[in-house]
Amino acid sequence: MPREIITLQLGQCGNQIGMEFWKQLCLEHGISPEGILEEFATEGTDRKDVFFYQADDEHYIPRSVLLDLEPRVINSIMNSPYANLYNPENIYLSKHGGGAGNNWASGYSQAERLYDEIFDIIDREADGSDSLEGFVICHSIAGGTGSGMGSYILERLNDRFPKKLIQTYSVFPNVDEISDVVVQPYNSLLTLTRLTQNADCVVVLDNTALNRIAADRLHIETPTFAQVNQLVSTVMSTSTTTLRYPGYMNNDLIGLIASLIPTPRLHFLMTGYTPLTTDSQVANVRKTTVLDVMRRLLQPKNMMVSTPVHRQANHCYISILNIIQGEVDPTQVHKSLQRIRERKLAQFIPWGPASIQVALSRKSPYVQTSHRVSGLMLANHTSISHLFERILRQYDKLRKREAFMDQFKKENIFRENLDEFDNCRETVQHLVDEYQAATRRDYLSWGTQQAPSADRI
Amino acid sequence: MSEFKIHHHVSELMNQLGIRSSDSIGEEVYTERLLKNTTPYITTQTKEFLAKNAIDQAKTAGMTTLSVQHDKILAQIPESGTKMTAQELSEIKDRLLKEANAVSATTMTDFVRKALKEKEQKQNLNIPLQPDWLFQRPSLTLDFMVGVDGPTDQNIVALGTLPVALQENAVADDLLCCMQGIEGKYILARALTERYAPKEFMIDQSLDPSLHELVRRILPLCSNYSTVVRFIEEKSAFEYGLVNHALSAAMRSLIKDYMVLVAQLEHQYRVGQLSLQKMWFYLQPTMRTLDILASIANSINRGECIGGAVLSLLHEKTSNLIGDAKSQELCLYLTQSHYTICRERIPVFLEQVADKILNTGKYLNVVRLCGRDVNCPHAADMVYTLKERRYYDQIEQAYDYASKLLLELLMREKELMARIRSIKHYFLLDKGDFIVQFMDMTEEEMRQNMDDILSLRTSTANVDPFKDDLKVDLLPFDLITQLFRILTIDTKQEKDYRVDPTDLHLSGLESFSFDYVVKWPVSLVVNRKALTRYQMLFRHLFYCKHVERQLCSVWVGNKVAKTYSLQKSRWYSAAFALRQRMLNFVQNFEYYMMFEVIEPNWHLFQQNMDTVSNVDDVLVYHTDFLNSCLKDCMLTNPDLLKIVHKLMMVCVTFSNFVQRLNKSTILEAEVTRLTKESTLQAPGPQPLGKEEQKKKAAATKVVSEHVDQLVSSETFERTITNFDTNFSKLLLELLDKILDMSSNNYDQRLSNIIYRLDFNGFYTERLEEVTAQRHASTMSTSADLSNQAVHDAGGFHSWMASYTATQRPDSAHATPSALRSTMSTSAK
Repeated sequence: MPREIITLQLGQCGNQIGMEFWKQLCLEHGISPEGILEEFATEGTDRKDVFFYQADDEHYIPRSVLLDLEPRVINSIMNSPYANLYNPENIYLSKHGGGAGNNWASGYSQAERLYDEIFDIIDREADGSDSLEGFVICHSIAGGTGSGMGSYILERLNDRFPKKLIQTYSVFPNVDEISDVVVQPYNSLLTLTRLTQNADCVVVLDNTALNRIAADRLHIETPTFAQVNQLVSTVMSTSTTTLRYPGYMNNDLIGLIASLIPTPRLHFLMTGYTPLTTDSQVANVRKTTVLDVMRRLLQPKNMMVSTPVHRQANHCYISILNIIQGEVDPTQVHKSLQRIRERKLAQFIPWGPASIQVALSRKSPYVQTSHRVSGLMLANHTSISHLFERILRQYDKLRKREAFMDQFKKENIFRENLDEFDNCRETVQHLVDEYQAATRRDYLSWGTQQAPSADRI
Repeated sequence: MSEFKIHHHVSELMNQLGIRSSDSIGEEVYTERLLKNTTPYITTQTKEFLAKNAIDQAKTAGMTTLSVQHDKILAQIPESGTKMTAQELSEIKDRLLKEANAVSATTMTDFVRKALKEKEQKQNLNIPLQPDWLFQRPSLTLDFMVGVDGPTDQNIVALGTLPVALQENAVADDLLCCMQGIEGKYILARALTERYAPKEFMIDQSLDPSLHELVRRILPLCSNYSTVVRFIEEKSAFEYGLVNHALSAAMRSLIKDYMVLVAQLEHQYRVGQLSLQKMWFYLQPTMRTLDILASIANSINRGECIGGAVLSLLHEKTSNLIGDAKSQELCLYLTQSHYTICRERIPVFLEQVADKILNTGKYLNVVRLCGRDVNCPHAADMVYTLKERRYYDQIEQAYDYASKLLLELLMREKELMARIRSIKHYFLLDKGDFIVQFMDMTEEEMRQNMDDILSLRTSTANVDPFKDDLKVDLLPFDLITQLFRILTIDTKQEKDYRVDPTDLHLSGLESFSFDYVVKWPVSLVVNRKALTRYQMLFRHLFYCKHVERQLCSVWVGNKVAKTYSLQKSRWYSAAFALRQRMLNFVQNFEYYMMFEVIEPNWHLFQQNMDTVSNVDDVLVYHTDFLNSCLKDCMLTNPDLLKIVHKLMMVCVTFSNFVQRLNKSTILEAEVTRLTKESTLQAPGPQPLGKEEQKKKAAATKVVSEHVDQLVSSETFERTITNFDTNFSKLLLELLDKILDMSSNNYDQRLSNIIYRLDFNGFYTERLEEVTAQRHASTMSTSADLSNQAVHDAGGFHSWMASYTATQRPDSAHATPSALRSTMSTSAK
């Protein structure tokens, strides 16, 4: 009776990172692309049943639902060696296959129409688990399917499973390159609102930062989707490692999330990973001690979120969880924490106790890595609001010109008026304000006196 | 036994007692009474013995005119011809019975042997039975058979009437007989007065005085012989153990030598070359030998020694006999033989090595019990010497061998480490998913009262070969009580913590504990004591996990708050912040215990186990591991533990409060929503349009308003504030205590928890205040103290020293360093 987690992969991006995630999980658990447990992995002491279940014929099948409105990515999965891994009943492709045309409203409306079919699958999966812990959604916030359909599903999941956790791995668009999706700011704003109100924990995967990391840290000039997605799958698999390789603590999702998220709205997490290497790259000879790993995790260049100014005076950590894997002497952890505190390497909130939680986790014995110790940081940092401000600014620019509104007005939700946009803008603005307020000592009484005024920004 | 037989016996008895059976009625009465007075069941046996022993006794009495027993009996028996009353008869019977018992006690007749047999059966059922014939045939002994052969009707003339040469000849013959445990004509053995008494003899009084004197000197030899032989025969029984067997065997071979000597003497006698003087001369060395043997036998009999004790005794004797080369040799001979035989129960010779030897034996025994053949290569070399060094070396060798063997057995075959690891999984929550799952499954039942929970059997998903050994246990006391009970033994503050058991209403959660089936021989290491320690750790951790879980469910319950309109949800923030602080405390406390206490200690333990060479070290390391875990988890300090427990209680009460609140709001929300839906009439099968959105928003608004109403009410605020004050106060108290302890005790580890809990300095300011307050009060008291007592610097240091001393029971192994640090401070 594990605490099962059902993964929902939505849209092009969601299915791509989802596929990488399952690849990584299969490798780590010694499961072949067909779902058969490899000979060498039969004696394992890992927990596969959180993410997989066993079919009648001992096949391991991911608790995963693949949804898309256009067939390209899912078809490529079905033509890959991993085609037989998934339960074919859990793959839903829109019949007309036209996609959402990068339009949030289209994705949202289509999902509304497909409600029954989609939730048949989700309900079946939920019924198939003994004590469902929650859902993990992989999607991007900028496209059409992942954002629109994702938004709709988020809302409905919250209605149907109010006691289950909803965690998302949300890919934020790359701002360094000119996107071919012109309505990206609209999509992002509308999705971000749902993420604020309907998700319990959002792991922000910032494409800007991911590409920069790939270029700067891994020295890949033009990172491919696959290479970036591999970074994402590393983050995803490592953040679930305490669930899959149980240790003393953090053996359920709630235990991980609850300490990271003190107040329900501030639930957007940044990630950092070190040491970063790619397959082709020969591991540079570096010392990897716990202190090194923990110190590097606090460096902004290793963060997978692009926040413009580093270590600003007022921004601070609300909470940090470091998942350290490898050969670790537990006494080193304490020393590292001491050092970090002495050097004031991390600035914390003034309104409550906060610390760097460290979860020591085992590594998969089947995946060889060149470094002794590796670490993933999940951090709740107030500077994430910059990302939202950026989305607000871009939205404002477009909105001022009422650009590309026609596509949206075609759909049900915007037919009568554009109130939805205004409401969403307000929600996101509140979120930004709250993050700013969280940097101050009086955060806990914030909002009780009066409505926040916009002039603070 | 037939009536006829009884008649026969009675008449015989009366004959023997010298009652002329002229009065046949007396005989009839006797028989009748005997038949009537005895219960049907024991009739036959008792009567038979009665009769038989009476006859024996009578015979002896008849022969030895001085026999006390005879006199006594005679005194009791009325003159012939008089009628016997029933009372008189029973008196006689009693006396006879008593005498019979006395006789049987001395000569090891059936009574005692039977009793012995029964006793031994009761004591140890594993001892095989001795065959019955061994007890039924009294002549199966080398000892004197008193009064068995009938009175010799030969014409024994008083010795005094014979010439001295003939007298000497006759007495020598008798002596030779007596030396082999056979009565002579003129030298008669007296019946023993008690089981281990020395044999006494009666010599014909008319013997020539010079001869009489000589005989009297030789006779102790016969007496000693009797003692030794009795000893040999008795101690060869199963229940006396290997050492006694070995000793008996050694003695028996000496007796054999002795018999050879007697045979040689007899030969001389037959040839007519043995005078009493010659015999006295020849017997000199042998007399000494038997004397020592008898004294050994007597000591052992008196001390009821078995096993090692026997050997200690022998050793003592040997040391006492230093200077008497011959006897030492003898004792050495005795001891030597044990060594080759008694490997398994190696003797306790000398205090210093006693434990070691004991352990060696124990280990080898364990190994043997596990069905392994033991072939101790050192055992054969074990020759007793008085040079202790050599002796130690050998014991050391044997010990090393034995412990290595056992260690190997435990480690390889019994997978000791794997077992301990498995215990760690369950008791120290090393595999946390198990406990999560367990709590999921048992949550409902755990809330119930302890008595309502019948039994919980759990299987885990863990791949653990020993999972079947895990048992679930519900203890009738909670952790705090258990700990305090144990602690009070040390601190002698029993009154403070005594809890009336009837006051305890334990929920399953509090009484819950795992138990673990440990099979021999792993139970050598994982014994009850260790398991109890594991259990205490487990309960502590388990409760923390439970609290964490409760706080997490508060989190889940409150997550809906994010959809509330901003201003309203702000009311919740005090509760959120408090929950966060609680969770922060519990999680960091768990982190501390698991990653800074248990895990490093475990690492150390594992390292030690890699280099361990014998089982004793395993035990020591294992106990050390558990003890330091207990200590650093604050389980040995009642003050800290109390605070921690209170903190946990506050957390649980808080989460219960919030969860109750949630339930009521959610219920309200559902009702509101349903009424809204029914009044608005949802538009058909496609309900999730814009209308629905609006409706939902409205519903949310209603809920949030409701929540607002609820939480803005003064009671809510006040309750939260109360929780907050309570929690903060306790937490600061805890931190302060830890700070205080770590500065006084030089115990670094505990202070780690402060680092964790106050990582961002949130509590620092307030903690400093508390510390300052404490310091102020401490300073005033210590100032008082120094004013009262000494004015020099010694006052403070002695106070410090006494403080450390009082702390010592809690931190026994840390004391040396703690003391050293105190010393260095004093030196400064």
